[in-house]
Amino acid sequence: MRAVIFSDSDCKTELSENLTAGLARVLADNGAQVQAIGLQRDRVAPCLGCFLCATRHRGECVNKDAVGEIRRDVKQLGLTVFVTPVVFGHFSSTVKNALDRGTGSHAWQIVIGCSSDIDAEEKSTFIDLTAKHCGSADIVHPGMDSRVDVHVTQSLEENAAICESLRRDLLAAGQA
Amino acid sequence: MRRICLINGSLRGKKASSLEFLRDVESRLPDAEYAKTIVTVKARLNGSYPSEVLGQLAAADALILVFPLYAYAIPGALMRLLEDYCSYTRSGKQYTREAKVYAIVNCGFPRPVIFGECVRVLMNFCRRLSLDWRFAVCISSGPVVVTTKRVPFLDLKLKRAFAAIASDLKSGGSAPRVDYFIRPAIPAPICLMVKRRYEKKMDMR
Repeated sequence: MRAVIFSDSDCKTELSENLTAGLARVLADNGAQVQAIGLQRDRVAPCLGCFLCATRHRGECVNKDAVGEIRRDVKQLGLTVFVTPVVFGHFSSTVKNALDRGTGSHAWQIVIGCSSDIDAEEKSTFIDLTAKHCGSADIVHPGMDSRVDVHVTQSLEENAAICESLRRDLLAAGQA
Repeated sequence: MRRICLINGSLRGKKASSLEFLRDVESRLPDAEYAKTIVTVKARLNGSYPSEVLGQLAAADALILVFPLYAYAIPGALMRLLEDYCSYTRSGKQYTREAKVYAIVNCGFPRPVIFGECVRVLMNFCRRLSLDWRFAVCISSGPVVVTTKRVPFLDLKLKRAFAAIASDLKSGGSAPRVDYFIRPAIPAPICLMVKRRYEKKMDMR
């Protein structure tokens, strides 16, 4: 399985670094081919909403950057993990730019909010933002209609629990 | 004279439905009563938004954010402006606390339930910066609404919603904080059928 881990490299913290390393380790231990991409805010263009990736040149984004390359091969990805700081209960702009451009795997996505200074409402907003909108066929966004898991971590203990949950899911997927 | 900053959160230029809605609401705010500025989000930036741009937001008595919904949430380009504005206010620069904030959000999906979390994000933004969240106008199937809005009697709800923003601004925020949901004139099942056919044709799923 090919897996990509996106993180916001302008907002690195001990928590996010620990999580990204832990996820990469679990994936590699379970035989996944892992690519970790640290996104920089000035190097990831936002989605222009031109729809040319869907109409004129399928899967190709007009913005030629690292995200554009992942976008082109998105159907071959078994898993995409987005590790993002939680800003007002939302993704950071940098990670949102990657997400808006359709880099989420069509098979399985994991969205992880990683911040130590958020309140209960922001945490709940972040979870609902993803969890409420996946699986409901009427309102589902193309590319987000498959399995999407969402977590929020505020401590190293929660990081360890997320990694353990991923390890169990990968084992279950391997046995299925 | 009160200062209003209208923020265009779309990168689609003249093709944007958001720009149409922004012009509609702007036309309801008389030049004699309001000093209006329009800030449009940028696709490319070196560093953060210039302080002149952030200063326009900081000086405003009211912010009206007009943007498309991207993956149930705020587009990355607009989110960056909000992040930069938050950093600007935290750096100790002056800004209008209690500035009123309105949102006009549109999306391609016909059911208004989709807007809920995006509105919550904006409320969190206002709470963090001590701004006065007022209400949102949530427009389902934005491009369909733009196409049909000149047809007589079809756009009454839209007109009422924009009038509510103008009236709330004039009265200093006395209207109830109730969001407006605008459904397209074309029934939702037909919109969904068109959407599915489009996605199938484009192999988007």
